[in-house]
Amino acid sequence: MSVQTMESIGASLKTAIEGRDGRKLAGLYASDAVLRVMDRNNPPSKPREIKGRAAIATFWDDICSRTMTHKVDTSIAEGERLAFTQDCTYPDGTKVFCIAVVDLKDGLIARQTVIQAWDE
Amino acid sequence: MRTVDTRYARNGDVRIAYQVIGQGSLDLVFVPGFVSNLEILWEDPGFAHLVKRLSAFSRLILFDKRGTGLSDRFNPYGSPSLAAQVDDLLAVLNAAGSGRTALLGEADGVAVSLLFSTTHPQRTRALALYGGYAHFYGSVMQGQFLAEFLQKIDTDWGRGMTLQRFSASRADDQRFSAWWGRLERLSASPSSAMALARMSASIDIRDRLSKVQVPTMVVHRMGDVHVNPDGGRFLAANIPGATFTGLPGNDHPIWMGDIDRMADTVEEFLTGERRVPSGGRVLVALLIVRVLGARQLPDGINDQQRREQLANFRDLATNLLVLHGGHVLNWDLERITIRFDGAARAAQCALALRDLAETSSLRLAQGVHAGEIEASGDLASGFAIHVAERVAAAAQSGSVLVSSVVAELAKGSGLRFVESCTVDIDGFDAPVRLLSVAAEQHLEPVRHHKAEPSLAALTVREREVLHLVADGMSNAAIASRLDLSEHTVKRHVANMLLKLDLPTRTAAAAFSARHAKA
Repeated sequence: MSVQTMESIGASLKTAIEGRDGRKLAGLYASDAVLRVMDRNNPPSKPREIKGRAAIATFWDDICSRTMTHKVDTSIAEGERLAFTQDCTYPDGTKVFCIAVVDLKDGLIARQTVIQAWDE
Repeated sequence: MRTVDTRYARNGDVRIAYQVIGQGSLDLVFVPGFVSNLEILWEDPGFAHLVKRLSAFSRLILFDKRGTGLSDRFNPYGSPSLAAQVDDLLAVLNAAGSGRTALLGEADGVAVSLLFSTTHPQRTRALALYGGYAHFYGSVMQGQFLAEFLQKIDTDWGRGMTLQRFSASRADDQRFSAWWGRLERLSASPSSAMALARMSASIDIRDRLSKVQVPTMVVHRMGDVHVNPDGGRFLAANIPGATFTGLPGNDHPIWMGDIDRMADTVEEFLTGERRVPSGGRVLVALLIVRVLGARQLPDGINDQQRREQLANFRDLATNLLVLHGGHVLNWDLERITIRFDGAARAAQCALALRDLAETSSLRLAQGVHAGEIEASGDLASGFAIHVAERVAAAAQSGSVLVSSVVAELAKGSGLRFVESCTVDIDGFDAPVRLLSVAAEQHLEPVRHHKAEPSLAALTVREREVLHLVADGMSNAAIASRLDLSEHTVKRHVANMLLKLDLPTRTAAAAFSARHAKA
């Protein structure tokens, strides 16, 4: 797997998320990466944790199977960290908005924290 | 209760109501059994809890099938087919943007889920089949019972008649039964209910089981009163690679009984992990007070007086609860739920409440249980509350029943417990022993000969109120005389009666007269 620079990983994340390419997304993570999700149902003291590349691959596969549009924007990079927003819309108009912070290690994502809010 | 948006998916001319809850990474659709109504089901704490649990790890999609709840009606004289239901489900998933979905089928919904997975394997992530069957006549009821069931729908639909068929444990709960009647009325018309029952009776998907290609778990409550667990076992044995999980309990609806255990099982199957228990649980003693006879008015008492009597009881009882360290979780006209830090305190408070009630025409039946509840603010939920309700339901008028765990916890408190009966409670493997409480365990009952309380215990204002009560004035008249609100007067009267240890206003008047003479 090629080691990626900060700029290229930001661009890869954007292309893969917007193109709903779960396999490509999974390839950006370290094998022992941890993805944490916080939302109304998973509060900060008990976030949902997805550990390891295999589980993260399933996570992205599930999300990419949805017929929804994703728009990745507002990337901010600093040192080994990257933050971006993700604006998603389901076919029935329901919206989800996420903000994610990513920590890189050796060019791969080692840790990601996602905060999300949605219409209901 | 949080309001969730209801949306409508279109399958041709038919519109199917659906709701989406949560944003977990995995899509999960609940395929309901007989009838449902997405607006009403949320009122049930069990249903809301199941939804909360499932939507913590998934994006949960709920819908009312055609002919039920908020969805379009069908012509009840034509038969709704399983194939049409599979198409409706596909329409819902398309509308919700779900490309690959895990299906949680309940009872009749198991056949719909299973047929969906064989028709659209690429759209199915996994199957969790609860309380289901492949062949109606083999697992649910025989032909002659079906005829009786249809007859019963014809004559009794909308009055909670199906509750007995679906849940043995809560069939005697009048309040729940009334709510269930509402659920029936708002879920389907009698003709639709009969058409759906006939459609369920035609279910025979035995030849389709071997065609399932997705990971499948079959789960069944082993005491299910509606669908025999053999129905579930048959599914598991004939679906390639399927597992079977038997859980304790006898309630048929998935959102009744031990919901957490059900949610744990489904979550573990779908995500591979079990949720760590949450930290909001606390161990408490629970007292449930059933106020009896609130509808049968003794001669000469009208509704207005009855209301006053209940309000007066509430004032006095509140004082007693505070003295015993109780915290009210819920206070309905006929049912009070109170939590305590200790088991003996709860039982002692129950005895005090019983004595208080005996000074009026009210009668109480009370139950005490100790266990963990999920507590946040004044809201509390949990299995222990359900158990306490069952204990209270078993209590007769004037008696205080406790579960055996309370009797054990209260050892050394001076309370005496006498074996009373046993009840079967959902979620317990063995019947639960109930004991009745007697106050003291001395051969010679110890009597606290209290000196008659003196007027000195009263505040100046309370003394003033006492004199006016003795003059036969109503609360309203006293309020106007003293330039106070009626509520404040009521509070003064209640405090005055409590301090003087007197049961009624009349007793207070007599007390006042005695002291005036002295």
